[in-house]
Amino acid sequence: MSEFILGGLMNGLAVGSIYALIALGFALLYKSTKILNLAHGELVLFGGYLAIALSNIVPLPVAIVLTLVAAAVLGFAIERVVMRPLFGQPLLSVIIVTLALGYIVRGVMVGVWGGDTRQFPGITGGVLSIGGIPIQRVGVWSAATAVTLLVIFWLFFRYSLAGIAMRAVANEQLTASTLGVSLRRVFAYAWAFAAMAGAVGGILLGLWLGVNFALAFVGLKALAAVILGGLDSIPGAIVGGFAIGVIETIVGGYIDANIIYGFKEIIAFVIILVVLMIRPYGLFGTEHIERL
Amino acid sequence: MSIRPAGDFKISYAQDMAVLDSTFNRVGFGALLAALVLAPFWLREFIFLLTTIGIFAVGACGLGLLTGFTGQISLGHAAFMAIGAYASAIITGSLGLPFLVALPLAGFVSFIFGAVVALPSVRIKGLYLAIATLAFQFLTEYAIIHMAGGVGAISVRAPSIGSWQLRTETQFYYMLLVVWVLSGVIASNLIKSRIGLAFMAVRDRDYAAQVLGIDLLYYKALAFGIAAFYAGIAGSLWAHYSRLITPEHFSIVTSIDYVAMVVMGGLTSVWGPHLGAALVILLSQGLKIITPEVIAVLPVFAKIATPLREIVFGSILIALLIWEPGGIAVLLKKLKRKLDLWPFAY
Repeated sequence: MSEFILGGLMNGLAVGSIYALIALGFALLYKSTKILNLAHGELVLFGGYLAIALSNIVPLPVAIVLTLVAAAVLGFAIERVVMRPLFGQPLLSVIIVTLALGYIVRGVMVGVWGGDTRQFPGITGGVLSIGGIPIQRVGVWSAATAVTLLVIFWLFFRYSLAGIAMRAVANEQLTASTLGVSLRRVFAYAWAFAAMAGAVGGILLGLWLGVNFALAFVGLKALAAVILGGLDSIPGAIVGGFAIGVIETIVGGYIDANIIYGFKEIIAFVIILVVLMIRPYGLFGTEHIERL
Repeated sequence: MSIRPAGDFKISYAQDMAVLDSTFNRVGFGALLAALVLAPFWLREFIFLLTTIGIFAVGACGLGLLTGFTGQISLGHAAFMAIGAYASAIITGSLGLPFLVALPLAGFVSFIFGAVVALPSVRIKGLYLAIATLAFQFLTEYAIIHMAGGVGAISVRAPSIGSWQLRTETQFYYMLLVVWVLSGVIASNLIKSRIGLAFMAVRDRDYAAQVLGIDLLYYKALAFGIAAFYAGIAGSLWAHYSRLITPEHFSIVTSIDYVAMVVMGGLTSVWGPHLGAALVILLSQGLKIITPEVIAVLPVFAKIATPLREIVFGSILIALLIWEPGGIAVLLKKLKRKLDLWPFAY
């Protein structure tokens, strides 16, 4: 039992680090643009598929860099073509548009690369043993990458001008724009950033589990992470990502194996419902106080 | 000769409250009804399209009341449809009750579920509510699969009214038409009633509505319940129409289709859901019919054929929302105005 929990903790943290990265993109986009991006899972899918396709042509590191560039371009394109004309439209329209966007991205991905699971070429799945707990080598690598990236992103938002502008907009749109921050540019950056975070998540998960179109489902787990941490909180998204990874692996894995089959896939939604019932603004989110 | 201004003028309260308030609307509605009644003759084997549109229009009508008039976002409408469908299957199957009893009963079962799901909507709003209903959608799918076993498929008896069995497509269509028109008429009357006005007050500003003495919990639960009732009726109809139901029919994709119907049709219009249902069903069924023919001409196309529906559907949805956020209902209104004034600009 204790081995199960320890192993689950390790694997959960490894998966959780990737969830955290994906959730970070999600939360940042929500924070600065107030758009709930239900196409986030498809951005993950985009990263995974494109990186695999490119890695058949060029070496893996080059493929990853190219994928990130492509993801950034996709993010800019989405903002410019779809989201900018919809600025100020009601909530529901924007949600629907992100869903439609997801349809298009997923349709194109499946249309071009087909529906079956693909693996990165030349990745061998060795098993590493840390303190007697078996964990997949790829899992360790992706967790290390995810943590490094989380630190880099944190430094970016802490010190770079663009990062500070984005935080300013996230804090108070109107004030930031009166102080000379270009909202359009920040929105474009936010989309590019979300697409890149999603793509990295897609690549890391793809290295680990292979890529098929079920990968888009991860977007919903990131949603659970973001809800748990608080929709508009960046640290919340990261903590939420790790928490979802661990809960899913340990609690989900246990119930899945011993009580009802398939529970692991659904536990993220149970968490969403429970959090929304008890603390709708999540662990670290700002509590919204409404006045007439 | 007396001089009378042209146009329709409402000079009494009854006229102001009438659902069909102008001669144009009355004649138009009559013509539409006639066309629908005669549809089996001019649509022939394509009548299944109209049947599908009708079933989904009933469901969308409910979502229109919930989203368009009460302002509550639901991404789990297909889950209520599933509840209605499975309830109806069990009521006619295991309990052996007739279809005419099962139809409203399935609606009521969904109503109860809807009202229960609505309870947190007092606490959580907007985006959070959308996410909660999304979670509800997935949990319902999961629950159904586990309760029905296997892939969750269940077969349903053919509907019968008294001793009259509805076996053919046309017979089913006429039964559906009655339910469809009835649901549309009830919805358009409802929004002019006290309940409808309360719904709109809740939509516009729920705290203000509460200050004015509207019980938020009651009206939000009622709105969810009514929406779920409509979805349950649609689910029951769909179950008896397709005769074999699986949770696949009521997945998140259907929920998204529903929201797309309501948004594309026009959120604050009684006609919106019906127009939207027609557009979405025609689009997806039309693509299903056209793609094999295109592949026959261009075999290269075969690989992208399956996801083509998603791509085209998504693109049209985005294009329509950017072009006219009010949906088809507003487009038609603008068109009518243009035709009224033609050839002058105003």
